[in-house]
Amino acid sequence: MGHIQLNNICKSFGSTEVLKNIDLEIQDGEFLILIGPSGCGKSTLMNLIAGLEDITSGEIVIGGSDVSDKSPKDRDIAMVFQSYALYPTMSVGRNISFGLEMRKVPKAKREKIVAEVAELLQINHLLDRKPGQLSGGQRQRVAMGRALARSPKAFLFDEPLSNLDAKLRVEMRTEIKKLHQRLGTTIVYVTHDQVEAMTLADRIAVLKDGVVQQLGTPYEIYNDPVNHFVADFMGSPGMNFVECVVFNDKLIIESASKSYQLAVPCAKAIKDSGLESVLLGIRPEMLTDPKPYDDSGFVQEVCFDVEVVEPMGADTVAIGKWNDTEVQVRLSPESGEVAGEGFTLQVDTSKSIIFDPRSGNRIR
Amino acid sequence: MNLKMLSGISLGRVAIYLILIVFALLYLAPLYVMLTTSLKDIEEIRSGNLLALPNDPTFYAWIKAWSSACTGSECNGLAPFFWNSVKIVVPAVLISTVVGAFNGYVLAKWKFKGSELLFGALLFGCFIPFQVILLPMAILLAKLGLANTVSGLVLVHVIYGVAFTTLFFRNYYVGIPTELVRAAQLDGAGFLNIFRHVFLPLSTPIFVVTIIWQFTQIWNDFLFGVVYSGPGTQPITVALNNLVNTSIGGKEYNVDMAAAIIAALPTLFVYVVAGKYFVRGLTAGAVKG
Ligand SMILES: Nc1ncnc2c1ncn2[C@@H]1O[C@H](COP(=O)(O)OP(=O)(O)OP(=O)(O)O)[C@@H](O)[C@H]1O
Ligand SMILES: [Mg+2]
Repeated sequence: MGHIQLNNICKSFGSTEVLKNIDLEIQDGEFLILIGPSGCGKSTLMNLIAGLEDITSGEIVIGGSDVSDKSPKDRDIAMVFQSYALYPTMSVGRNISFGLEMRKVPKAKREKIVAEVAELLQINHLLDRKPGQLSGGQRQRVAMGRALARSPKAFLFDEPLSNLDAKLRVEMRTEIKKLHQRLGTTIVYVTHDQVEAMTLADRIAVLKDGVVQQLGTPYEIYNDPVNHFVADFMGSPGMNFVECVVFNDKLIIESASKSYQLAVPCAKAIKDSGLESVLLGIRPEMLTDPKPYDDSGFVQEVCFDVEVVEPMGADTVAIGKWNDTEVQVRLSPESGEVAGEGFTLQVDTSKSIIFDPRSGNRIR
Repeated sequence: MNLKMLSGISLGRVAIYLILIVFALLYLAPLYVMLTTSLKDIEEIRSGNLLALPNDPTFYAWIKAWSSACTGSECNGLAPFFWNSVKIVVPAVLISTVVGAFNGYVLAKWKFKGSELLFGALLFGCFIPFQVILLPMAILLAKLGLANTVSGLVLVHVIYGVAFTTLFFRNYYVGIPTELVRAAQLDGAGFLNIFRHVFLPLSTPIFVVTIIWQFTQIWNDFLFGVVYSGPGTQPITVALNNLVNTSIGGKEYNVDMAAAIIAALPTLFVYVVAGKYFVRGLTAGAVKG
């Protein structure tokens, strides 16, 4: 039903190529997140799926039939816009039922559906109001209600939460997740917010300049990024990147004026690449307070000069330098209080990843 | 200290109000003279003061201007021409406004290849002086068999007015978010349904602005009226001119004044009734959803 297949989609506006050879298969009932920097073509891709823009080349298959040349209303897809795009002169109830009205659903049935949707989203008491009389969160619900009413094959959400304040965003996020679990309808969801991406997605597609960089589960995207861009984009605070000289099969770092040799998992690949120096990628949570002894062979203690501490509540991010490059580490709030020059840091390189410094590709 | 400030403010206030009152009086003076003159009899006008109130107000001049004053060789007053004007203005305003609304809707939200060029051409149409098109339009009307007819005048006013009405509606609709169109498309609404259910309900202010504008323009038009009308189809502006220029016996200033006010009344009426929407419509910003 809600199976969406994008085959080799290209889209140009005039001479600017916005999307390049996009191949994506979205399973029925899947929650797919599209994430990427501003201007990378996320909204354009959504508009193409919805049929609001014409594809330049390629093929879009929804529920087994080729819809590339079909108009939006024949694709049976609903979209929630960033600005909500509620009809300002219609009541909330009519906003929700308008799609049914246009599809000639009888009045009695429309009223029944509106009541059900309103119940589901807890907006029963708002049905007679105009969109202008609602708060941001309520508008967001109405926009979702409008999409839900038609029970479409798939939902498209284009940054639906970006206009809400931080607390409400977290609440609505949970609600969307519950809704998806309840309805089981395919969702394609665009976001800038990588926490949203990690928490909601079955799979994440990372886009850059109109090219899909990586498609995978949140775990894969976070722990096994294919290149420097994806590794850099996901995670907050972000992954540390330090250029290191290769010595035998180890990487040399200099911290607090002392030199250390770090063992890394893909030592053989580094040796095979023949590079003299590589880019070490290591997440802040792998640089911590000393913990009970670990004999994996990838853990060692390093002396670290902390220059700045940023308490975040649950933990504290401390900033110092390795090889003259800034490095963020994650400490407990207690050691954050006392961290300074010559702090003893535990470095766990078991999950570190290595990039070719020139191309940004993984070495593995 | 407090008192000083108070008197300072009120002094400024007084000055402002004085200036405003002076200018208001200056602007109202001609209207005052017209009104009082139209209510005097001709003896009083000849002997009396221009600014004096009428001694013995009479509607003689108004009745004569409306029903029996001479406009050239006929002496039926302005009444038949008033209705001529109504027959021209009402269809011309309605047609040009509706066409402008659709044009504006298309040019703002359904862009096609060359739509910007078309809009540029329409914009250019706003700046073409009346005189330039007089002759070609006369030839066109003759070819269409519409010379000297009410329909011909309606056509001229519609063509000329569409440039303005399109501009008004297009600029208003550009401010309405395109996402509304997209949402409605996904909801299954087509071109006409989107216009009817989404755009039309938002359009009251701009309709008011356009109708006032077109009504005033067309009602007050003299040049097209004088060139393209025949003996039975002259609008009121042309008749007013004829009435003032026809003098059998002495000049009847009171009748001239009454006639001028009658000719101006409908536009005045429209401004008074819809004026506040006019200002509101001109300043209405984008619509928040
Ligand atoms: N109608 C258009 N004509 C020309 N260029 C366009 C058009 N629409 C989008 N673009 C361009 O296509 C690129 C992708 O735009 P798009 O809106 O898809 O980005 P996005 O990933 O959604 O960004 P954001 O996160 O800021 O919403 C941008 O460089 C934009 O300038
Ligand atoms: Mg976007």
